[in-house]
Amino acid sequence: MSYQVQQESGYAIVCLSGDVDLSCSPEARKTILASLSRGQHTLVDLSAVSYIDSSGVASLVEGFQTARRKSLRFGLIGVSAAALGVLELARLDKVFPIHATLAARLEADG
Amino acid sequence: MTAAIEVRDLVTHYGSRLILDHVALEVGSGEIMVIMGGSGSGKSTLLRHLLGLNRPTSGSIKLLGQDITTASAAEMHALRRNMGVSFQGGALFGSMSVLENVMLPLREHTELDEQTMAIMARMKLEVVSLGGLGHLLPSQLSGGMIKRAALARAIVMDPKLLFFDEPSAGLDPVVSAELDELILKLRDSMRMSIVVVTHELDSAFKIADRITVLDHGRILLTGTVAEVRNSSNQRVQDLLNRRPRQEEIDADAYLRRLTGG
Amino acid sequence: MAEGARPALFVALERLGRVSVELVEEFGYYLALCVECVYWLAMGTLRRQPVRVSATVQQMVEVGLAGLPIIFMLSFAIGVMLAIQGIHTLKQFGAQTQVVLGIALSVTREFGPLMTGIVVAGRSGSSLAARIGTMSINQEIDALRVMGINPVRYLVAPVMVAMLIMMPLMALFADFAALFGGALFCKLELGLSYRAFWDQTVNFLAVDDIMQGLAKSVVFALVVALVGVSNGFSVTGGADGLGRATTRAVVLSISYIVLTDMFFTYFLNRG
Repeated sequence: MSYQVQQESGYAIVCLSGDVDLSCSPEARKTILASLSRGQHTLVDLSAVSYIDSSGVASLVEGFQTARRKSLRFGLIGVSAAALGVLELARLDKVFPIHATLAARLEADG
Repeated sequence: MTAAIEVRDLVTHYGSRLILDHVALEVGSGEIMVIMGGSGSGKSTLLRHLLGLNRPTSGSIKLLGQDITTASAAEMHALRRNMGVSFQGGALFGSMSVLENVMLPLREHTELDEQTMAIMARMKLEVVSLGGLGHLLPSQLSGGMIKRAALARAIVMDPKLLFFDEPSAGLDPVVSAELDELILKLRDSMRMSIVVVTHELDSAFKIADRITVLDHGRILLTGTVAEVRNSSNQRVQDLLNRRPRQEEIDADAYLRRLTGG
Repeated sequence: MAEGARPALFVALERLGRVSVELVEEFGYYLALCVECVYWLAMGTLRRQPVRVSATVQQMVEVGLAGLPIIFMLSFAIGVMLAIQGIHTLKQFGAQTQVVLGIALSVTREFGPLMTGIVVAGRSGSSLAARIGTMSINQEIDALRVMGINPVRYLVAPVMVAMLIMMPLMALFADFAALFGGALFCKLELGLSYRAFWDQTVNFLAVDDIMQGLAKSVVFALVVALVGVSNGFSVTGGADGLGRATTRAVVLSISYIVLTDMFFTYFLNRG
């Protein structure tokens, strides 16, 4: 897995790519939580993720919960079909704000 | 792509009694294979061997390309991270809460943050519809809930291989139908290869991609649901129609058994 | 049939042979368990499969603390009995004031560790066999194995360590309880003050006497743990088998304790 963080339209966008599994999800978690602790609205871009397991999803859940506690905006963009399957299994697709792209998200934000 | 499970020429004994006689089995990646057979057919023994709990007399068992009959302890340990097992009686640890039970594999195999592990375990409890019940002890659960909790523990590490022993035994039809749905859902969304051992026909036909019928330690038939239904094999038909087995009697051997001669 | 024609001697010999083989097998199993425990204690952390401290502490509480009241009671009673018998015997030589020596030596070298061993065998040996036996029947042991959690590391090693730490401590506690019982009776019967009893005891006792008792209790700890665990693992056949295994664990471990005690005492006191 690799990741990069970029600032765009008031969001910190965490782009994850490759396999997000047990071995590297702690790093993803740290990155997401760090972005939130800087008080930034955060989006996680999963479009380059080939596989995400439960530990990766758990990190997203923790990020979302942290964002809500701090009243920051949080969401997922570019969720691939495989990742969506994992989210759907735990009915998390109904919980996360999910949008196809940053543009779609910005439009939804109004 | 290698098969998820590849069993060749498996021969096993219990003491000096032959239990499995040259069994061969192949389970593809993402396939649901149901192993069927009456009691004493050797299906439980076959499962124990697939799980690496018993040592076979001869033959090879490859899981995810790794031959477990020759694997080292370290290789076996690594492989076990990719295997989940739901035992017939659940085999939950009575001294731990349901959540602790589900978290146990994570605690032993990973160094994830405590909070991450708890979220993962609770997510799996949600998957099996036990959300919010993690604080209960196994003794406070009903039979169906125990099976689902055991399933949650089996899948908490996102295994590539899932083994399920008698999912519907002792459950009412509605609950067992729900479990069947769950098995299908798991395969579809997590792309697991699943082996189910059962003697329940309805359940087998509903979930199986292919069925292997075991009888007296031998494989009678391996095929799709339709192939098994239409099989002309007498024993298979007996099993399907729940007829008592009708064996031919060898008068000499029978007399010898009775008189002890 | 051939069976009836065989001389009784042959039958007896065959039975003896079979029992011997079983005995050797059982002791081999104990040894293997021991070695595996030591392996996990030494190498567990390195292989990232450590023996958990929390589980060990929990076992220590279970083995030790909960057993203290009964050990106090029994050891106290033994101390009183030793005083009664000692005074009765020594009276015949007019030497009843020497009773303290007898009490101090037999308590520290023999009865403290022995009583502790027997109580722990009865309490923890049986519960250990029952716990592991139940897990075995419920496929929980299998579940551990398929999760890649070695049952010896996870279940046995903590018990072993807990026993090895707690048994000598409890034996020491039993020593004090028995000495207290003896002192109380001597005070009532002979008017010997606690102070005098204690001074005499300290005077007579060598460190060796106490160490001998503690060394025994370490061996008893091994016996109770190994017999309890191996009987638990060998449970087959449901509730019936479970009952048999727990009974067997208690009877066997008490027998082994008394027997090893005898050998120990014999060899330690030669020459």
